[in-house]
Amino acid sequence: MTAAPVPWRFDAIGTTWEIVTERALPAAVRDEVTGRIDAFDREWSRFRADSAVSALRGGGAIPAPEDAAAMLDALAALSEATGGAVNPLIGGSLDALGYDAGYSFHDAGPVAAPGDWRERLSWHDGHLALSQPATIDVGALGKGRLVDLVLAALQQAMPGDITVDAGGDLAVRGRPQRIGLEHPFDPRRVIGVWEVTDAALCASAINRRAWPSATGATLHHVLDARTGQPVRTIAATWAVAPDAMTADAVTTALFFDGGPRLAHEWGVQWVRMTTDGRVEWSPGCGADLFVGTDVERGNAPASRPNSLER
Amino acid sequence: MIRTALASRPVRAGAALTAVAGIALLAGCAPTASEAEEPTTPDTGSSSTSDTGSTGSDSGSGSYADGTYTAEGSYATPESVETITVTVTLQDDIVTDVEVTGDPQKRESEQYQSQFIGGIADVVEGQDIDDIQVSRVAGSSLTSGGFNEAIETIKSEAAS
Repeated sequence: MTAAPVPWRFDAIGTTWEIVTERALPAAVRDEVTGRIDAFDREWSRFRADSAVSALRGGGAIPAPEDAAAMLDALAALSEATGGAVNPLIGGSLDALGYDAGYSFHDAGPVAAPGDWRERLSWHDGHLALSQPATIDVGALGKGRLVDLVLAALQQAMPGDITVDAGGDLAVRGRPQRIGLEHPFDPRRVIGVWEVTDAALCASAINRRAWPSATGATLHHVLDARTGQPVRTIAATWAVAPDAMTADAVTTALFFDGGPRLAHEWGVQWVRMTTDGRVEWSPGCGADLFVGTDVERGNAPASRPNSLER
Repeated sequence: MIRTALASRPVRAGAALTAVAGIALLAGCAPTASEAEEPTTPDTGSSSTSDTGSTGSDSGSGSYADGTYTAEGSYATPESVETITVTVTLQDDIVTDVEVTGDPQKRESEQYQSQFIGGIADVVEGQDIDDIQVSRVAGSSLTSGGFNEAIETIKSEAAS
């Protein structure tokens, strides 16, 4: 607590990172962090031609990357919980709408992801294998996994308070942090504050990764795998969990029916906002939300210890 | 569960199966799966007393084996993908019974709300970031330069 926190900002995996530690990170630690991020990107990014998932586009098998089982097991649970709305072979659907490696944003119409992905993709025998051509996209929980890996590397190297912020996905250690929940329709505003201690707070929203469709309507990156079309009911989701991968997994699930149940089973607290401006939250949610007085159900968000409502 | 009585009069199998696809169209917006057009496995769980027959023939012009066929069709609503199950009973290439059942996922989602959602507010007031004390903000991931440039290019091309 003696020195001022030192932020380290950089761009990686298509977003802006900020890592805050109590003391400046030695060059060797920074190198280790960037090395980890690059190694992960080389395995899982569908945006780079030299990645493992790009090599698998045509089908085939490779030695399973280190994080394959953890991420794909979680994706299988999400797929199960959401009736197939979440699917790790969603890459082709994103490409079809134009969110491709070249950022073409050329909308060629929606394409559903293969519903039988469990039969096409395997990862349990030490190999990551695709029996037919497809594009793996581990989605938000992939970024969460990477945040967890980076945090682990930092914790080994440095004691004290640590914040890893990967463009809105946060993992914090040490003193509690008050995190604003960004309004998905107005980045100047927040809809609430969530105090987080030794945990991860992850968010997913439709407002930034968005582009025009062939007809001029807006497309965004959260797709329903069953139709290949962007979700139209949920605008933003937030979840707090012990690790960022779990929090990110829940933020994805919350875009679909089945998400709240999965969050309940995993013991994860959450908040979500619908596209018509309604806000919902989990039972016992610790977020301090700036909601009006017309709350439909009891259980209003927590005790508001930090409420700044006026 | 929705239960719809349909087509009491016998119709040719091909027409009925086309109609099955039509039901999905009527029931929702865009049908996204075409499984409904494909007679596949005989439904052993059906209450029908007919024998289950063999798997349906795979070409349009041939005869279909007698039996009960079940197919699932789906259509997208804004909230979810709704699924209907259509059971067709065939005898001598004539449809003798059609049953459509649906189990809309919206009903389930209402159930979720009671069990797994702590509360709902119709309005969120929001606060200006400058008026509150937070160490940082969590929202959608910031986009990278490449993404932003591509979007700008698209917009300028659309405008020209």
